[in-house]
Amino acid sequence: MHETEQHDLSDDSDYAAASRHDVSRSILRSDSGKSTTSEAGGSEVVYSKENVAIHPTQYASERISGRLRLFKQGSSLFLSWIPYKPTTDGSAVLQGQGSSSVPLEKDRYLYTIKSLPLADVHSIRRHTPALGWQYTIVVLSSGLAYPPFYFYNGGVREFLATLKHHVFIVRSADDANVFLVNNFRDPLQRTLSSLELPGVVSIANRTSFHKPRISMSSLDDPERVNGATYDGTSSTSEYSGQPKKSHDPARDISIQVLEKFSLVTKFARETTSHLFCDSHDGLNAYEKKQQNNYSSVKHTSSQSDEMEKTSDMSPVASDPLEFEELRLIWGKQRMHPLSFEEWTSFFDSEGRITDSKALRERIFYGGVEDDIRKKVWKFLLGYHEYDSTDAEREYLASVKKSEYQVIKTQWKSISAAQAKRFTKFRERKGLIDKDVVRTDRSIAYYEGDDNPNVTILRDILLTYSFYNFDLGYCQGMSDLLSPILYVMEDESESFWCFVALMERLGPNFNRDQSGMHSQLFALSKLVEILDSPLHNYFKQADCLNYFFCFRWILIQFKREFEYDQIMHLWEVLWTHHLSEHLHLYMCVAILKKHRKKIMGEQMDFDTLLKFINELSGHIDLDWTIREAEALCTCAGENGAACIPPGTPPSLPIETDMGLYPQDDEVL
Amino acid sequence: MASRRRILLKVIILGDSGVGKTSLMNQYVSRKFSNQYKATIGADFLTKEVQIEDRLLTLQIWDTAGQERFQSLGVAFYRGADCCVLVYDVNVMKSFDNLNNWREEFLIQASPSDPENFPFVVLGNKTDIDGGNSRVVSEKKAKQWCASKGNIPYFETSAKEGTNVEAAFQCIANIALKNEPEEEIYLPDTIDVASGNRQQRSSGCEC
Repeated sequence: MHETEQHDLSDDSDYAAASRHDVSRSILRSDSGKSTTSEAGGSEVVYSKENVAIHPTQYASERISGRLRLFKQGSSLFLSWIPYKPTTDGSAVLQGQGSSSVPLEKDRYLYTIKSLPLADVHSIRRHTPALGWQYTIVVLSSGLAYPPFYFYNGGVREFLATLKHHVFIVRSADDANVFLVNNFRDPLQRTLSSLELPGVVSIANRTSFHKPRISMSSLDDPERVNGATYDGTSSTSEYSGQPKKSHDPARDISIQVLEKFSLVTKFARETTSHLFCDSHDGLNAYEKKQQNNYSSVKHTSSQSDEMEKTSDMSPVASDPLEFEELRLIWGKQRMHPLSFEEWTSFFDSEGRITDSKALRERIFYGGVEDDIRKKVWKFLLGYHEYDSTDAEREYLASVKKSEYQVIKTQWKSISAAQAKRFTKFRERKGLIDKDVVRTDRSIAYYEGDDNPNVTILRDILLTYSFYNFDLGYCQGMSDLLSPILYVMEDESESFWCFVALMERLGPNFNRDQSGMHSQLFALSKLVEILDSPLHNYFKQADCLNYFFCFRWILIQFKREFEYDQIMHLWEVLWTHHLSEHLHLYMCVAILKKHRKKIMGEQMDFDTLLKFINELSGHIDLDWTIREAEALCTCAGENGAACIPPGTPPSLPIETDMGLYPQDDEVL
Repeated sequence: MASRRRILLKVIILGDSGVGKTSLMNQYVSRKFSNQYKATIGADFLTKEVQIEDRLLTLQIWDTAGQERFQSLGVAFYRGADCCVLVYDVNVMKSFDNLNNWREEFLIQASPSDPENFPFVVLGNKTDIDGGNSRVVSEKKAKQWCASKGNIPYFETSAKEGTNVEAAFQCIANIALKNEPEEEIYLPDTIDVASGNRQQRSSGCEC
């Protein structure tokens, strides 16, 4: 089953080119004209490319140019990228070619890659935009990614071809432009196996993995094939340990993944600190990148004269496509909300949404305009199927309307005398009555005495507590329903949208609080890999229960933002673009933002809780979403592995948990 | 001087949803009342400086979510508490019946070193409603229960009108201070003062 992933590279022109001739050495000579031997003692340079730049900011004119190399040490392959010093001969030559890089010393340190073992690389993504420069993004096993390398003199093809010559690369089944280095089918498994944990067996080792290895061996000497195996470095290639014991790999994964989690995160942390060992200030890789991102901007303004001069000399064309990709690493610029015109363009003639992924992605980056929110939310929440037609949805609405009435009648028909002998009902109703009159009453839609909308809010919640009697009503539900009713302006439609939302968020209100605990657990793991100093601080301050984030998570930041912002945030979260758990990355983003204060003031649990509560109304939403996006991208698969399966708002793993009693089965 | 340094007293307010925990806290700390407090999610606290005799104290008053379902969070919020305030609504029998559950749950989760003598205060809130005509829990009944649980001080309050709120919290501060003997271990010169207070205040709290 893995063979398709591993073999079928022939359609790729880069690979075709690579297999046609013996690449590395000839390219190397033609490119740099330098000798292939001895960069450092005992190493052999197999690829070298001048004028490979990174763009620390979104402006190509602020790029830092350098030399990208692949070199072998023993049987292991390493990558290096050394930025030019502004005053050396080498850079003078390059500046003649159009580079305007004047990197700060600390920028240079930040981005310099002295020797990155290819065994630590998870994948390389290739971008060959029609306009602008080709670039590649190197993603590490830890999930962190380097900023894109722009090949100003070309050479992406040769780069990949050389890599293929020395390490095992397969093309990702999901994306033809992603090349998995040292690929294993399961990314988490790969990470685990790289730790050489006893009893953890790689699927790939046991199944089809041998085949390409053998076939490659026939083309080359065995040492080359084992190029990713190297000695005396921090991580160990998974190539070395195979094949292992004959466990049932599937069972091993499911049982051991969470058990070994702390080791995985430890591994990720060590990889990160190892990579950035040039600077010693204790910040993690992500933060360094970010910091540099900002400092580069500052740097530009402080040296604006100089920069102007150089950019006059060498104007650099901008490529919007390219910059869009670049921002992805740092969190993309927010867009304007989806307009009615744009929205209608997503439908076919019968009213189906043809490309729901594109729609969700579009909404992720900008939300929607007020006038279409009512329609959009029904899809995002899952009440409407994307591939349903106008006619089907119209029919559904009428069926659902009567179905709602049936359930509502169940409690409406309870007489006062009956209620007297029905404590559960009285309690439930009493709780809801108390809560609806204190839910968003400052919003015009709900304000004033005897507001009918408050009554509708009450009716929907009470009906829901009959629809899902086991879950019943729990505080926080009224917060979740309020904007839905405000948007839908229809009792039945609001109810069914709320039902759809609760299908995902219902476990937040479980009696045993299991849904909340799994999210708080996941959050603690995310902080551990994305901000280990903060994690360590929380650990020693006895704050690892993360209860101070309880309100954020329980009601999806409802109490932290203004009403219109909450609607925007929710539609962004509900796209599930990038992750179903972006809200957890938002938590990380906000905590990271304030980590200096939290740690500097040595906040204990109580102080921290107070501090977090008082952030309400003072959180920059757009910044937080962008930051969460960047963190999510950086964390990659390791981030996803932090989140146990079934963690809300993922759909529950077991479907017959009683959320939907059989009587209420729809259609 | 050491004996003059500020002491932090942690007070937890517990009780059924909607009995007025948030309102009582805000009335005491800010002398304000609003009909539009939202249901408390998780927990929050306010602080107020109080002076008892010559002691300057910081009262940290914790407001918690009233729904039983959130009780498991108590472990984190209750720890280090010096006093627990149990609130019920004099117009809702169930909220009074639940006082025992709240008390026991608190003792389990906070696990104080001396649960038998841990200080509680009971507040019967919302005495203003309907001019008192809708009340279903009599003062007598409440006091009986308080007496049965080791003479818990009892106050009837109206957070809306501010009735008895100041007096209740004065008492709360006093008995919380009594429950802070560990502080004195490090301040031997204050032992006498503190024990003197203890005598006076406990009688002052018996209502």
